[in-house]
Amino acid sequence: MKEHLARERDKDWLEDMAGREFRTGLGGKWDRWTKGFLGHWEIFRKNKLGLFGLGLLIIFAAMALLSYIPPLIDPMYEPMTGVDPDILWTQGPTKAHWLGTDFIGRDILSQLLVGARIAFLVGITAAFMAVAIGTSMGLISGYLGKRVDMILMRIADIIMVMPGLLVILILSAVIGKLSVWNLVIIIGLLRWASVARVIRSQTLSLRERPYVQAAIISGASKGRIIFRHIGPNVLPLSFLYMTFGVTTAILVEAALAFLGFGDPGTVSWGMMLQWVWKTGNMFKAPYWLLPPGICISLITLSFYLIGRALDEVVNPRLRQR
Amino acid sequence: MHLGKFVLVRATQIAITFFIILSLLFILFRVAPGDPASLVIDPQMTPEDVEETRAIFGLDKPLYQQYLIYVKNFIQGEFGSSFYYGKPVLEVIGEKLPNTILLFTTSIILSALAGISWGKVIAWRRGSLLDSSVTVVGLVSHTLFLPWIALLLVWVFAYWMNWFPLTGMITPELWVDPDTGTVRKVLDVLHHMVLPLSVLFTIHFGGFMLIMRSSMLETLKEDYIVTARAKGLTEKQIRERHAAKNAALPVVTSVGLSLAFSINGGAITETIFSWPGIGRELVFSVSNSDYPLAQIAFLLIAALVLVANLVVDVLYAYLDPRIKY
Repeated sequence: MKEHLARERDKDWLEDMAGREFRTGLGGKWDRWTKGFLGHWEIFRKNKLGLFGLGLLIIFAAMALLSYIPPLIDPMYEPMTGVDPDILWTQGPTKAHWLGTDFIGRDILSQLLVGARIAFLVGITAAFMAVAIGTSMGLISGYLGKRVDMILMRIADIIMVMPGLLVILILSAVIGKLSVWNLVIIIGLLRWASVARVIRSQTLSLRERPYVQAAIISGASKGRIIFRHIGPNVLPLSFLYMTFGVTTAILVEAALAFLGFGDPGTVSWGMMLQWVWKTGNMFKAPYWLLPPGICISLITLSFYLIGRALDEVVNPRLRQR
Repeated sequence: MHLGKFVLVRATQIAITFFIILSLLFILFRVAPGDPASLVIDPQMTPEDVEETRAIFGLDKPLYQQYLIYVKNFIQGEFGSSFYYGKPVLEVIGEKLPNTILLFTTSIILSALAGISWGKVIAWRRGSLLDSSVTVVGLVSHTLFLPWIALLLVWVFAYWMNWFPLTGMITPELWVDPDTGTVRKVLDVLHHMVLPLSVLFTIHFGGFMLIMRSSMLETLKEDYIVTARAKGLTEKQIRERHAAKNAALPVVTSVGLSLAFSINGGAITETIFSWPGIGRELVFSVSNSDYPLAQIAFLLIAALVLVANLVVDVLYAYLDPRIKY
């Protein structure tokens, strides 16, 4: 009898341990993650403008996905090379071309859809690059301090006073027309400085925290402290700056394409505006002038609104009591 | 005097920054694929002729000597001739600098002032209908695509309404006529300036206003506002004298930080409106591969941004007595 009870107790104990194991293991992490996410979503949801921005973003994502369809229907809907054989000049909306055609009879709607793809591509990759460089530079600069900090921050200062768009213009004068990928790299290299400044000041305060002192005493290397202990704590801030970075990157690409220095192999919204402007159709073809401008303005607005809503999640100080 | 020393230190830093930009530009133009002389050398030249041309341009010398010559020429004010205009670049660009400064400074000052005065009002009435609607206007203004809003304004106010001229800075016939008085001329320039100025104002206003709003909201939580209330000051006195004056300081900082960004917009605006400034000249020279002109236009714009930065810094130090230089 005693033996039986003991076995029963052991079984309970084992089950209990197994349960604990389950909670602190992978499942526990998952639980914490979803809880954290739901908590943040609750805050985000209260921001009406943020929700509006998210809605806009979903529409643009849908546009980017839909862009694959028109060329499948008919080769004349190919945004760059497809030409309607019956139309020679720009023409208003018809049944075959819902938004009309441009100066050589290319479909404006399919160009507009592809433009969403380019905007996402350029915006997200360039912002990611800027934020990745900026975060590492900020962390290193803030944690190491002294000479490294001084040199990195002086470089950041110089980059910040340079007019980015005009620097890219000069570069394209020297190198020739820039491809989209070159442009992404250049925007990344020109935009990291402001991110680095913010991350640096955050690092300066984080490195005085007890857990960092504990890590130093237990002999963690500098690299480990910077990227393993401080790094994850600045990531929300980096993510926030990424949403703002997307806005700038899209605007820079569009402005460059508008001035005639875009990648000649792509159809972007800025490029469409350049065509309507350079061919002198801007007063005659509102169906051609309006859509690309509305799209650029709205997609940047959407990322900016999402950024502001995330700002409230990251900085509790900003919330309205 | 402290302020004098502060200005001196900042001016030195700015001079060093400018020198670094100057050197970067040299490296850029020399490291770039293709010999700079290849533009002038045509394929039919004999090798001796090619050597001679390279010698004329100083390209046969070692790189460090070329760099020293480049810096020396810059200090002496010799920037070479424009390929396109065939005149010394300084002549081409010199007369355009004031036009850019006029448009640039007016637009920044006007939008900063408007941003400050709207920002403080809507922060004061946080949560009201006015607050939310003006904030939305500011957000849209901040993210609008500049070339597009410029084309729209031209379309509506110059093409449809015919209120303002389509492009340019002056009406040539008016300026050729010897009888035209100075007042007429000034009015003519102002008339041409309305649209480009509105574009730049629309783009910059939102950002300044949003910063003023959040800065004002922070300031209103300060203890000295409570003190002011306790003293029985009127709402207007608290808002204007105690809150807004302190809250406006971050806007001044953000003006400094956004200068580089503003000049980008300035260049696009000048191009669209054919405003004879250095931004437009830079865009043109890059399309025409006019390297000497592109180089000097870029340097002048960089110098303009740096000097404007210095002015903002000094202004900040002057406005905020708490700052330690």
